[in-house]
Amino acid sequence: MAVQKKRTMSPLMRQQRRWGLIFLSPWVFGFLAFGLIPIIASLIFSFTDFRLTSGEAIQFNNFENWRRLFTQDTVIKDAILNTLRFAAIALPLSIVMPLLLAALLNSKYLFGKSIFRTLFYMPYVVPIISAIYIWRGMLGTEAGWINRILAEIGIKGPNWLQDAAFIYPALNIIGLWTLGNAMLIMLAAMQGVPTELYEAAKVDGAGPIRRFFSITIPMISPVIFYNLILSVIGIFRYFEVPYILREDQSANQAATMFPNVYLYKEGFALNDMGYASVLAWVIFVLAMGATILIFMSARFWVYYGAEERD
Amino acid sequence: MTTQPLELTTTKARSHVNTVPAYFRQLKYMGAVGSVTLFALILVSAYLMPFAYGALTSLKTREQIVTSANGPILPVDHATFEWEGQQLQLYRVTLPDGEERELARLPESTLRMQYMLDPENPTAPPIELEIRRPQLQPVWKLNPHWENFKLVWEGQQGMVRLPRLMLNTILIAVFGVIGTVMSSLVVAYAFARFPLPFKRTIFLVLIGTIILPRQVTLVPTYALFVALGWKGTWLPLIVPHFFANAYNVFLFRQYFMTIPRELDEAAMIDGANPLQILIRVIIPQSFPVIMAVSLFHFVYAWNDYFEPLLYLQGKPELQPISIGIQNYNYIYDQQQGLLQASVLITLLVPVALFFMMQRFFMQGVVVTGVDK
Amino acid sequence: MSTKRYFFAISVLFALILGSFPVFAQDGPVTITWFVGLGAGGQPEQIAAQNAVVEAFNASQDDIVLEIIIVDNNVAQDTLGTLIATGDAPDIVGPVGLAGSNAFAGNWLDLEPLVESSGFDLSRYDEAAVDSYRTDEGLVGLPFATFPSFIYYRRDLFDESGIPYPPSAYGEPYADGDEWTMDKLREIGMLLTLDENGYNATEEEFNPDAIIQWGFVSQWTDPRGHASLFGAANPIDEDGNAYVPDSWRAAFDWFYKGIWEDHFIPNGAQAGSDILANGNAFASGNVAMAHTHLWYTCCLGDVTDNWDIAPVPSYNGVTTAKLHGDTFRILNSTEHPEEAFEVLTYLIAGDAAPQLLQVYGGMPALPELQEDFFATLDETYPQGVNWQVAIDSLAYADSPNHESYLPNFRRVTDRIGEFQVLYENTPGLDIQAELDALIADLQVLYETADEESSDVDTGVGSGS
Repeated sequence: MAVQKKRTMSPLMRQQRRWGLIFLSPWVFGFLAFGLIPIIASLIFSFTDFRLTSGEAIQFNNFENWRRLFTQDTVIKDAILNTLRFAAIALPLSIVMPLLLAALLNSKYLFGKSIFRTLFYMPYVVPIISAIYIWRGMLGTEAGWINRILAEIGIKGPNWLQDAAFIYPALNIIGLWTLGNAMLIMLAAMQGVPTELYEAAKVDGAGPIRRFFSITIPMISPVIFYNLILSVIGIFRYFEVPYILREDQSANQAATMFPNVYLYKEGFALNDMGYASVLAWVIFVLAMGATILIFMSARFWVYYGAEERD
Repeated sequence: MTTQPLELTTTKARSHVNTVPAYFRQLKYMGAVGSVTLFALILVSAYLMPFAYGALTSLKTREQIVTSANGPILPVDHATFEWEGQQLQLYRVTLPDGEERELARLPESTLRMQYMLDPENPTAPPIELEIRRPQLQPVWKLNPHWENFKLVWEGQQGMVRLPRLMLNTILIAVFGVIGTVMSSLVVAYAFARFPLPFKRTIFLVLIGTIILPRQVTLVPTYALFVALGWKGTWLPLIVPHFFANAYNVFLFRQYFMTIPRELDEAAMIDGANPLQILIRVIIPQSFPVIMAVSLFHFVYAWNDYFEPLLYLQGKPELQPISIGIQNYNYIYDQQQGLLQASVLITLLVPVALFFMMQRFFMQGVVVTGVDK
Repeated sequence: MSTKRYFFAISVLFALILGSFPVFAQDGPVTITWFVGLGAGGQPEQIAAQNAVVEAFNASQDDIVLEIIIVDNNVAQDTLGTLIATGDAPDIVGPVGLAGSNAFAGNWLDLEPLVESSGFDLSRYDEAAVDSYRTDEGLVGLPFATFPSFIYYRRDLFDESGIPYPPSAYGEPYADGDEWTMDKLREIGMLLTLDENGYNATEEEFNPDAIIQWGFVSQWTDPRGHASLFGAANPIDEDGNAYVPDSWRAAFDWFYKGIWEDHFIPNGAQAGSDILANGNAFASGNVAMAHTHLWYTCCLGDVTDNWDIAPVPSYNGVTTAKLHGDTFRILNSTEHPEEAFEVLTYLIAGDAAPQLLQVYGGMPALPELQEDFFATLDETYPQGVNWQVAIDSLAYADSPNHESYLPNFRRVTDRIGEFQVLYENTPGLDIQAELDALIADLQVLYETADEESSDVDTGVGSGS
């Protein structure tokens, strides 16, 4: 209806369009200045010996950076493998944990729902740096509370942050505090599932677990999809936790070398901006690839109801 | 443990026969509520346990932390008994006759041989025990050190103090909030109300920027800010937020779509231009979503670590709390009590804000998440 | 019309926001920045003293404004690297030892012209000490503080176990008449290592999973520092190839076995845990002997009155007590060399020197300051510490120094650091094979060293 009106009233429409463009302009400018142009610039930098040290002009360095990436650099290989090892735990956890918590909060048998919801969400607002220092103490090998609890039940706790077999579980334990957001979104989605569906299933004799898997999960699959995308992006942005733990020498240096930590080290500590740009592109391509794969998989498992998207 | 499932089966069995009185069904319901709630309680305690760790540790001195490593988790000192000007440590000892006593350990004791003084009868000859010192059970005395909080709040001379770090963070956050709210608001307004060329494509590109890892743009952006001379100032942490953020635009746009167009049109008939409509009609209607965006950005700015790390290196007096607290970590590395006190102070502001404003938080999260 | 007004309003707003940030004007006094972090200087009382020095200096004159940046030792190299890279380089860096200086080889200013033009009197110093700072880049530092190393030990822990103290002078045997060697250190270290039931590491009942007291730690140093106890060396030969001497192979065997089989040295997790004061092991009171430097007097914490110091043991008849020598340096990117030099001399030889030397725990390079230095230490530690051992340790300084230059220095030291994390945290290694892997990696790093830093002289001498 509105569209028709604008088509017939051309001068008004032109004016409206101008207003629209003005209002859009901050984003357009920002996208160009902090998005598109830097992306292209970083591709150009990746072919140069760019350093921020003053003086010398930037020189094209004959694909030296890319050659280094493909022929010499073993660190990036390890960093990508580390990311995969981390993601192997982090991705399932980032879906399953919030899902279970949301199901718990959605249970009609839970008393004091809003208090629990608040308490489970609360750690999400704790600054990551505070969370790291608290969890570092919790995970201490000799006197950390987790190992002390394990010792109470007769298990000798591992060396969480140094043992290559336990560092990824440890990093994921630290990450547990950030699942509040996903939990809340899933909870809201669960509450939006029409109750008739459950009642119909009940009549058909489906138990609660069956109902959860055959109604709840498909109905909230778009939200699961959304959280999966966010988690994947989060994994390619993963930096703070390993960086801070490494800087204080409290975690296994090799196992916590993630791509972003490597990029930071090359570009900002060792001042090789050209190579840092190569690494940025490696991360970009991997992140894009992973995201596209998930989008392609979506049609096999994500259920969009009859509703139209804008 | 074993009785519970038994009970359950009996109730089930009875309900099949359908001779159960109403109160029994109610009892069953209460039982389910009880066990689910208890489970949630255990879970949430485990989930929040690190706060207890931080709180207890923040009350300890270095000595108490060393003590805690093998002793109680509470902030305790070794109880002592004063005798002839010396502080003798008290131990709980089981004497050969089976009696349990608190005795003070005399300095002439060795690793293998203990000479213990009875505080109730100190002039009697010392009790000799052939037991190794580490096997003695110390007597503890609770002694929390609340002054740790005062110490970190005041800071060491020459350190950038916590109040200053907090002020920096609040200022950076507030400027950023102003920027992101203003810019995201107008951009969302454009998407919600105006005809734009390639609107759908532009919107997809906007949403696509969420997926873009910031590392790709990092090096050139950094070089740009260095070239502008903005490194070592707050500008790189603030100015980019004046150019709208995809999440916030989306959040605003979703909200604006729910505001009836009739309101705009009425204002337009009264002669208002689109900017005036935004200010007079849309913004007053959008209070909850503006609050949500502001809070999100505030928490983000309080949390942001990477960019201050890049841009405020070597400028300790300008750093926000996320970076500043790392310096506390270094300085108090071997004084975990002080570190944990500063960590707790740091997380207090966002957590308090969250508790006060949780309605807006939760609404905001749900809008971005579910409406996608 | 109205659209123009909108643009106008937006630009005014931007101007206001941008204008609200102070612009730092640079007229009037020259600002000199002093960067602390590559060596000592990060402890609370040191920070306080440094700030007091800055205040006093700024109050004493109007031409120079001295500013201080203090960063933690763990991140100092990265931070300084970034500051230099982005044109924010400080003017003065220090206190800095060899390792810190080598990480920034090629960035230091030659002080010789400034010494001449200002008439600074070099004859106050021992000539050899001054010469040790002369490299291909010129005179890159002036002697300031030396930190000999020795063994700190807890008298009360020795007494409790009934074990005689280590010898009190170099050349003396241990109480049982045996030579004071690394083997002897291991022997008494095991006797001083106790589990939660009080059994020591030589007893059958000893439980290595429940240790509450350790015999020995080589605190706050890296593998080169550890190995220096077995002899001075640098893991590069005359042809620029990676290697380690046999004495170092023995050293890593000794340390690795000491951690994982003999249990008298804490492993990485134990050293970082609450029971050993989160890394400050000796100050926790749960370690009997620690090998470290004179600067450790900064950080003894609660252990104040029951420790003493003893000579470093020998290995194969040779005694090596690694040495640190710190000073202040000027970066060659400075725009105000004269002013920076004025501050430098204020710090190393002016009014600030005694105060700084005291908080850093650095033995003064200026002979006239030494007596007061030890007198003040005796006030802090009234139990009567055997300081003669510290002075005598200078004679056994490691040469080459354990912080000597290596090509590709920062990447190489990173790799060496990884080796340390490995042997301190991983049981069941073939330590010699890991050492071979380290050497192989070092070889590659040496070969790919940047041209810009590979021609720097490696012969930066030890402090004294």
